[in-house]
Amino acid sequence: MPPLPLQSDWAFVIENLDLLLVGTGVTVALTAASILLGFLLGFPAGAVEVYGRGPLKRAVETAGVVLRGTPLLVIIILLFFGLSVSSSAFVTATIALGLRSAAYQSQIFRGALQSVDEGQLEAARAIGMGRFQAIRSVVVPQALRRSVPGFQNEFTIVLKDTSIAIVIGLGELLTVGQNLYQGGQSTAALEIFLTVSLIYFVLTFVTNRSLDRLDDHFSIPGGERA
Amino acid sequence: MGTQESTTAGRTLRARAAGLTDQPLTLLTVAGFWTWLVVRWTNDFLLDGALIDRNTSFFPTAPFEAAASTLGGLAASLGPVGFPVGWVAGFFEFLAASIPYLPQLATGVWATILLTVLGIALGFVIAVPLSVARVYGGTLTRSVALGYTELFRGTPLLAQLFVLYFATPLTTIIRELPAVGTGFIPAQAFWVAVIAFMLNSAAYQSEYIRSALNSVPEGQLTAARAIGLSKVDGIRHVVLPQGLRYAIPGWSNELVYLIKYSSLASFITVRELFERTDAIASETYRYTELFVLAGLLYLALVLSASLLMEYVEDRVAIPGLGTTSR
Amino acid sequence: MSDPLLALDDVYKSYGEEQVLSGVSFEMDAGDVDVVIGPSGSGKSTMLRCVNRLTEIDSGDIYLDGDCVTDADTDVNELRKQVGMVFQDFNLFAHLTALGNVTLGLRKVRGMDKATAQEQGYEHLEQVGLSDQADSYPAELSGGQKQRVGIARALAMDPKLLLFDEPTSALDPELVGEVVDVMRDLAAEGITMLVVSHEMGFARSAASDIIFLDDGRIVEHGPPEQLFQNPQAARTGEFLSRLETAHEEE
Ligand SMILES: Nc1ncnc2c1ncn2[C@@H]1O[C@H](COP(=O)(O)OP(=O)(O)OP(=O)(O)O)[C@@H](O)[C@H]1O
Ligand SMILES: [Mg+2]
Repeated sequence: MPPLPLQSDWAFVIENLDLLLVGTGVTVALTAASILLGFLLGFPAGAVEVYGRGPLKRAVETAGVVLRGTPLLVIIILLFFGLSVSSSAFVTATIALGLRSAAYQSQIFRGALQSVDEGQLEAARAIGMGRFQAIRSVVVPQALRRSVPGFQNEFTIVLKDTSIAIVIGLGELLTVGQNLYQGGQSTAALEIFLTVSLIYFVLTFVTNRSLDRLDDHFSIPGGERA
Repeated sequence: MGTQESTTAGRTLRARAAGLTDQPLTLLTVAGFWTWLVVRWTNDFLLDGALIDRNTSFFPTAPFEAAASTLGGLAASLGPVGFPVGWVAGFFEFLAASIPYLPQLATGVWATILLTVLGIALGFVIAVPLSVARVYGGTLTRSVALGYTELFRGTPLLAQLFVLYFATPLTTIIRELPAVGTGFIPAQAFWVAVIAFMLNSAAYQSEYIRSALNSVPEGQLTAARAIGLSKVDGIRHVVLPQGLRYAIPGWSNELVYLIKYSSLASFITVRELFERTDAIASETYRYTELFVLAGLLYLALVLSASLLMEYVEDRVAIPGLGTTSR
Repeated sequence: MSDPLLALDDVYKSYGEEQVLSGVSFEMDAGDVDVVIGPSGSGKSTMLRCVNRLTEIDSGDIYLDGDCVTDADTDVNELRKQVGMVFQDFNLFAHLTALGNVTLGLRKVRGMDKATAQEQGYEHLEQVGLSDQADSYPAELSGGQKQRVGIARALAMDPKLLLFDEPTSALDPELVGEVVDVMRDLAAEGITMLVVSHEMGFARSAASDIIFLDDGRIVEHGPPEQLFQNPQAARTGEFLSRLETAHEEE
């Protein structure tokens, strides 16, 4: 490789902005896929913890404790190198982040379901609704609204933790930064990592503001804000 | 990003830790885990391997290997119905395969604990003034504190580690300090990680403490002022003692988070539990066994922390005030 | 001779050691308004909840319109379509508007389409004087308004029998009147109501019978004139005079 032409470190970052933006795209896609997987698994898991019983409930609780008690790094490595669930780094990272997020989202939904007053279920039963229907039409809509703040928190946690996928070489934002630093211009470390951090900051900021909007939009007039 | 820790979220966090800590089996496991760790560390660090060679496990592998092969044979002879026996055999195989690595991992656990404890303790020292500034400060201190927490909560911890390690002269400065990297004192990367955890954890801890301070009724400070305390003394002697108790559940949660996130220090070469596991795994290619083992060790640390914090919460509880009745 | 609309026959209920209902029997005909009074903990709420099986009884029988509803094979949801309930603390569905509260049962239980349900829902809100609050959420309503929505929600299912469990005791005194007025109107329309309430004005003017429950037993059961002017049991008199004093102190 011919020596790089001498250039200022900021110029180097700006020149490679397109690479960083591609990495940002991967980060956003990974976040979205993981949150979605986490929701699809976590919501039923939370409901099972509240309304379920027997071995199913115990199994869900145990899986939750294990997933919440293990570093994401260990989960990712185990899935990628140990169990080799997929040869795609993106798929593996989605499964790892999604499973762990499911374990946390289940707790958000569980708390929200439990916080809905028992009288609500009783009143629904009193007009002749079955248990399942009463839960679905009366308890769940209220619980979903109350989980928005917890969900907001979880969303940004997942967004930031996508950076850990660097360990399996997935080309997300931080990995791109690391490559620019190690394979490109090593004097530009500060400029590169500050830019990367700034992009993450903008992403979390925008996410939070949008979810605030969602919270306002779905809040019940006059009711306590979720 | 001003994510309000609503009471719902607070309760959720608390419930996460509860439920798994009240089982006798959990208590027994945690007790066994710590006995092993303390004996191991005493032997390795203090007695210089007097009881047993530093790299030799306390537990022999032979019986587990024997059990595994016997059961494996049995499973094979049972044919298709032998699979439960096969699982048990697999479990013994796992034990036999992982036991030789336990001593090295115990050393990693020591570094993980040290990282976590230093990070959270030093972070706490910054978090208290930060949260007081958020709640009681003037416009300037308030916005400085807000900016700090937003910045550290809005970016990944791993990126923060990279900035500190690769992009600042921190490493060089620490390396030049006397005694770093000699004897008991870990090398510079460890200290960079501690600084990163301290700065990061301070931001999260201050959020928990801030919302706890907010839940102390305003009348408490007014009453403190009324008996002649200054604002600072009123905060210190009346508001903080109550607020910090409210903050315990959130704070416990942060401790659990930090135990897990301390694994990120491996990216800057700190020889903690994850890094040790990874190093052995890339030599032996026994990824599954080793990372399952590492996962179990982290789980034991997390459970221990939850138990400890529940105990602390009980000890400092004041009737009528506190976290449980909220 | 036609069956009574509601009949309880020797109903027993206990929670663990505690005997809450000990052999309760009474009947009421269609169009009756029976008011249940009694000290706190005497089992009034429990008795009411046994009728729509929010609580299961230990022994005895309950008949609605001639059908035994305490059989194991009774469909509780079918039963509850025919028996409405109004709660002490309203229990309005917090995520739905007043109209939404009234129409939820029509749509999800009766399977009505949205437009028809809303049309009927308006009528029921009209009946309790709240058609102008159709789009308000529970948190935007006063206590009295909430309880009137609660009544409209129960009415919407077109029940044979309406149960009221202390419908005014969670209300500020000045809001009690509007709810009692609605209940009086319903009584006048001939709706069958079983009401736990210590609202003596309502009991005197609207009740067909008063049931005095003490310690899980019916101590006295009769028309209001008899109970108020000439109570048969000593305990009834004591309880009524205590109620009276409490009222004057207010
Ligand atoms: N679900 C329950 N589990 C255990 N005990 C109960 C339950 N529900 C009611 N009880 C007990 O049954 C007794 C009667 O309760 P109930 O609510 O029927 O009384 P009440 O006459 O409605 O009283 P109040 O005027 O206070 O509403 C009380 O002692 C109460 O503690
Ligand atoms: Mg009652």
